[in-house]
Amino acid sequence: MPKIVNLTIDNQKIQAPEGANLLQVAKDNGIAIPHLCYHKKLTPTGACRLCVVKIKDMRGLIASCTVKVEEGMEVTAFDNELEEARKYLLDYLLAEHDESYDGSYHDEFRELIFKYALDKKENRRFPSIWKELGYPKDETSPVLTYDAAKCIKCFRCIKACDEVQGKNVLSFTNRGIVSYIIGGFDKWGESECDGCGECIQLCPTGAIVEKPHREKINIENGIKKVRTTCPYCGVGCQLELWVKDGKIVRSNGVEDVSPNYGRLCVKGRFGYDYVNHRERLTTPLIKKDGKFVEATWDEALDLIARKFTEVKEKYGRKALAGYASAKTTNEDNYLFMKLVRMVFGNNNVDFCTRLCHASTVTAMLRSVGDGAGSNSIEDYETSDCMLVTGNNMIETHPVTATFVKHAVQRNGAKVIIIDPKWTPLVKDAYIWLQPKLGTDVALLNGMINVIISEGLINQTFIEKRVDGGIKAYEALKELAEKYTPDYVEEITGVPAHLMIDAARTYAKAQRPLIATGMGYSQQVTGTHNVFCLLNMMLITGQVGRVGAGLNPPRGQNNVQGVSDVGTSPFTYPGYISVEDAENRRKVAKIWGVPFESLDGEKGLSTVEIMQAAYEGKVKAMYIMGENPMITDPNLNHTEEAIKKLEFLVVQDIFHTETTPYADVILPAAAFAEKEGTVVNSDRRVARMRKAVDPPGQARQDWHIIAEIAERMGKPLGNYKTESDIWDEIAQTAPIFAGISYDRLEHHGIQWPCPDKDHPGTATLFLEKFNTPNGLGKLHPVDYAEQTERANAKYPFILNSGRILYQYHSSTMSRRNKALNDFANEAYLLMHPDDAEKCGFHEGEMVKITSRRGQIETAVRISEEVLQGELFMPFHYSEAPVNRLTRDELDPYSKIAPFKISAVRVEKL
Amino acid sequence: MIKETRITLKNVGKINPESIDDYIAAGGYAGLKKALKMEPFSIIDEVLDAGLRGRGGAGFSTGTKKKFTSRSCQTCPQRYVVVNADEGEPGTFKDRVIMENDPHLYIEGTIIAAYSINATKGFIYIRGEYTGSIDKTRKAIAAAYERGFLGKNILGSGFDFDLELKLGAGSYLCGEELTMLESLEGKRGHPRIKPPFPAEKGVFGAPTLVNNVETLSNVPLIIANGKDWYKQFGTERSPGTKIFTISGKVKNPGYYEVEMGVSLRELIWDLAGGMSGDKPFKAALLGGAAGTFVDASMLDERMTYDNLREKGATLGSGAVIVLEEGDSVYDMLYNCLRFFKHESCGKCVPCRVGTSMLAKGTEKLRNGVPDKRALLDQMVHESEIMAATSLCPLGQSPILPLKSAARYFAEELTK
Ligand SMILES: Cc1cc2nc3c(=O)[nH]c(=O)nc-3n(C[C@H](O)[C@H](O)[C@H](O)COP(=O)(O)O)c2cc1C
Ligand code: SF4
Ligand code: SF4
Ligand code: SF4
Ligand code: FES
Repeated sequence: MPKIVNLTIDNQKIQAPEGANLLQVAKDNGIAIPHLCYHKKLTPTGACRLCVVKIKDMRGLIASCTVKVEEGMEVTAFDNELEEARKYLLDYLLAEHDESYDGSYHDEFRELIFKYALDKKENRRFPSIWKELGYPKDETSPVLTYDAAKCIKCFRCIKACDEVQGKNVLSFTNRGIVSYIIGGFDKWGESECDGCGECIQLCPTGAIVEKPHREKINIENGIKKVRTTCPYCGVGCQLELWVKDGKIVRSNGVEDVSPNYGRLCVKGRFGYDYVNHRERLTTPLIKKDGKFVEATWDEALDLIARKFTEVKEKYGRKALAGYASAKTTNEDNYLFMKLVRMVFGNNNVDFCTRLCHASTVTAMLRSVGDGAGSNSIEDYETSDCMLVTGNNMIETHPVTATFVKHAVQRNGAKVIIIDPKWTPLVKDAYIWLQPKLGTDVALLNGMINVIISEGLINQTFIEKRVDGGIKAYEALKELAEKYTPDYVEEITGVPAHLMIDAARTYAKAQRPLIATGMGYSQQVTGTHNVFCLLNMMLITGQVGRVGAGLNPPRGQNNVQGVSDVGTSPFTYPGYISVEDAENRRKVAKIWGVPFESLDGEKGLSTVEIMQAAYEGKVKAMYIMGENPMITDPNLNHTEEAIKKLEFLVVQDIFHTETTPYADVILPAAAFAEKEGTVVNSDRRVARMRKAVDPPGQARQDWHIIAEIAERMGKPLGNYKTESDIWDEIAQTAPIFAGISYDRLEHHGIQWPCPDKDHPGTATLFLEKFNTPNGLGKLHPVDYAEQTERANAKYPFILNSGRILYQYHSSTMSRRNKALNDFANEAYLLMHPDDAEKCGFHEGEMVKITSRRGQIETAVRISEEVLQGELFMPFHYSEAPVNRLTRDELDPYSKIAPFKISAVRVEKL
Repeated sequence: MIKETRITLKNVGKINPESIDDYIAAGGYAGLKKALKMEPFSIIDEVLDAGLRGRGGAGFSTGTKKKFTSRSCQTCPQRYVVVNADEGEPGTFKDRVIMENDPHLYIEGTIIAAYSINATKGFIYIRGEYTGSIDKTRKAIAAAYERGFLGKNILGSGFDFDLELKLGAGSYLCGEELTMLESLEGKRGHPRIKPPFPAEKGVFGAPTLVNNVETLSNVPLIIANGKDWYKQFGTERSPGTKIFTISGKVKNPGYYEVEMGVSLRELIWDLAGGMSGDKPFKAALLGGAAGTFVDASMLDERMTYDNLREKGATLGSGAVIVLEEGDSVYDMLYNCLRFFKHESCGKCVPCRVGTSMLAKGTEKLRNGVPDKRALLDQMVHESEIMAATSLCPLGQSPILPLKSAARYFAEELTK
């Protein structure tokens, strides 16, 4: 804790931490010293000079934003001389400034002009000269306009991009009065700008303004602002939506709250237009003679209730199944799972987590007892070593990545990347290990081998906190023995010395965090991969204290929450096994149903449901906000399975690749039309709030679910609002027991939060693990060669994944012009040597064939992939990678191996 | 009749600047040899007691600066010396004379300075247009490495020091020390905010000593001959010599090394051969664009840092531009103000816009405004606001030529 010092500003006595920024201290104490270039998120610049003050015993005028407070400082912030100087400075700025104002942005400079009465021309000294200075306008970016004539050259945008977002795209060109900001080497649109908009948010004038909807915005007139949570990835950024005439016209990051502290990525800032897209579903549709016709809600709901009941009666309760959705709220999903368990009468409910982090969660549950990230997103910023495995976080969790970049750029932290494919974070990495696809277990066992042979284990930790103590460790040691660095190099292709350095760096770090992503989880050996990570973490004791642990960043804004509220074939709310009779008894009581009516047998998981449909065991399905026809592996198989269903209900906001197969399509509300809660990757429960009305007859998901249950004769409960549903969730899931809507008004709360007075839990496992005996469990696993291998017929291994500008099946993201302007084409990455061998040129259309299917796309030649390996984004329906992938499952978690498919590539 | 006192220029024209043997034969590197046997702090004390002040323009005590740098941040693994060889002040070329004619002298001074503050790495930031200086310096550095004056374990002392040449980015402001540090780090030529000073956090965040070429050239002499020898030159508070570069209407323009404290009259008439034409002396601009105008009333003032400052003038870099009766102070002033407008980096508002407004104002003085006197007063006031509010010394400089010109030549300016 810094010392508190006493100072005075204009004779007002003030206390502040020693070394705090004087301008900020003044501001916090209600003394508004004029300023333009200072922003509390940025290092001081000292450019505008408006914040000048006098300090006793110091010479001249001093820019207060560059002063650190000290004991006994006597500061004069306002007197005639200072005000005169400020007036001059503003007058100077006006001379080089285009004053026209269209009302579409907040203008701090303009406010000062009025405050100092310089809006009146007679009060000015200097002629306006901006027109002779030849200032350009840059409109090349898809999302923003830069107008040099409105730029006050405060450096805020440069620092926003560099210091806050870690990108460093902007700089000044020219010198002196004719200088202005450029993106990259000249044009914004040709620079590496990725459209995060931090520069827009921090620009104090109208120099950088958002393009979308600019003409509609007048900040002084008719703008409603609603705070909510971003609908895209699992960072859970807090947004402020601006609404005009019932439509969203802008999205800003909310400053000062976790997890994003005002930062956003391009999706969060520019990805909202889909909400108001003309293709939204607005009325229920029933398929009649192969065609969808509009129906009333009553017709649709009655039909659904009747069909579901018929199927149940005819084939038994196990013939029904449901896919829930990580894009909807906890409340929606809780009722969905309640419907499946209580009304369908089975546990066949799952969602996309099975396709992303199921293996991670399975491994973590078995090893440490919780399937969620052990630390807070902010902890990345103070970490000294981050092991990033199969995780392209700059593109998939861009705001989390900003914390990582801060750690590297400000504190010199070391990032170790394990990834067969180049990712942009490599630029900030200390070591990049590039193993061949599917060799991760060998690589990690190699690191464990190094750690053991160099004595870098934490014996006390093993003795105290690992199940079986040293004996269990000995078993791991024995297994790891053969994974010598040379042997591992042979398997993985990773140079031994790099692997050794990585192992040492991780084991010796003070605050090491593991961030593991889809690259590790989406393999047949997904659970094994994560077991290895956990083994390494446990024997080095790099968990169980603040700033150390393992974190799987979640792909969608509510993957975490949907699991947490029990939308799983295996667990009830709060991760209690469906087989736990005592818990079922407790829940039965809360739900007011007979205990016996709740199925005690595990249900089917995502891919198993499809397989059961294929085999004719599941006959009817209810799909809410999922698009299996693009996200499921081995799509040809999925398609056949879906076609075999007797009855399919799809509830969504748009037609998707899946809706054509439906018998009934139900129009639902989108994120900005909902109240509710979601849980982000660091277990933070946050509010979603309604900003606009759903279009047409579209309804809230939970209303629809409740109606279906009601019409099937088993009402789910008496809920008036989402808050009522939440209170029931808190009752059934002990991890949420202390959370209620009133506590979530201003900021999120991290679970577990066992009671009303509990502040939430930033770090898991401080005292014990969440396993039954409180100890961490080692799972030594051997490397096994992948079953799917390249051969003469299928000589390449195809990897798949996400990119920054699109999201999942792109149902949402592709309905935003801004995002499409950045990236709207499918492609296949291929190493230059391979491209040469095959005779492909850049952009050429090719045919890709696996044992399961065939697609076409354009080749991009790039060294981002290894020779013999390929990469494709999975977002695009015109080139659906999952026609090529397998549905051979990880035996523990049932996750599918999206990352490894043997293919051949041919000219069209 | 005064004469030159050449100490830093003693080898000029006498040795081959490309021959390290010549330099050594003339007593070179004796200072370094002696220094390496001394305790670092006693070198600092010696320089401090000799009273050496920065020749880059500001006249700050070199010993004090070294002391600060050597004491700050004891845990920092690395310290730096930066040689300011950017010489951008109009009318100034004293450093070039040293670098082209006797490059080992300032390199030796740099090594001693590094040893005294325990710096292991140095940069010479040299003006890009100075091709001759660059060539001579490059060769001298190579020769010094070869002879073991640079590199690892210098002369068996256990002291390591590497020296690297960096070419300037072609801006006047990069001669300003905090901007130079940015430029050395590969960033744009915008000055940093102070504090921290270079002595605390200089290049790459490490304590850094920044000194001018001429300043460092004095160091080997002080160490080799002792502080008392040095203090016999110059005045009590400004000991030593100073190289002046005279241009304009004098018979023999060029460089002259004289003891601190000579008068302008002595400089012009005893050394530079007097006025070049028949017309009488009208004015001199002392110290370049960031300098001050003086008229004949100042001809006999002692030119020391403190005396000139007291009289509202500056010594600056030692540039002296002489005007004769009939020459235009207005034009000279206009050139200075346009120079600032051109060289303003644009980082801070008062300088970025203020320099343009002053240039415009000066134009207006000739293009018929009703009340020229009021305009001139207003311009001086603006320059005061700029001086009070600008971020770096560049924006604080226009006041120097403007106010001094207004003081002595208001009539001409407003006619
Ligand atoms: C605009 C500006 C330009 C400068 N240019 C030079 C220069 O070219 N050479 C120089 O030695 N000092 C220059 N200085 C002074 C340096 O900032 C610094 O004071 C000097 O390098 C310190 O060295 P000294 O103590 O040996 O004089 C300049 C200062 C300013 C404000
Ligand atoms: S664009 Fe905005 S933030 Fe950037 S320098 Fe100009 S006024 Fe400042
Ligand atoms: S939008 Fe983001 S990436 Fe682009 S220039 Fe602005 S801050 Fe940088
Ligand atoms: S005073 Fe001039 S040169 Fe210095 S920072 Fe300001 S604009 Fe740049
Ligand atoms: S706010 Fe301090 S100089 Fe701009």
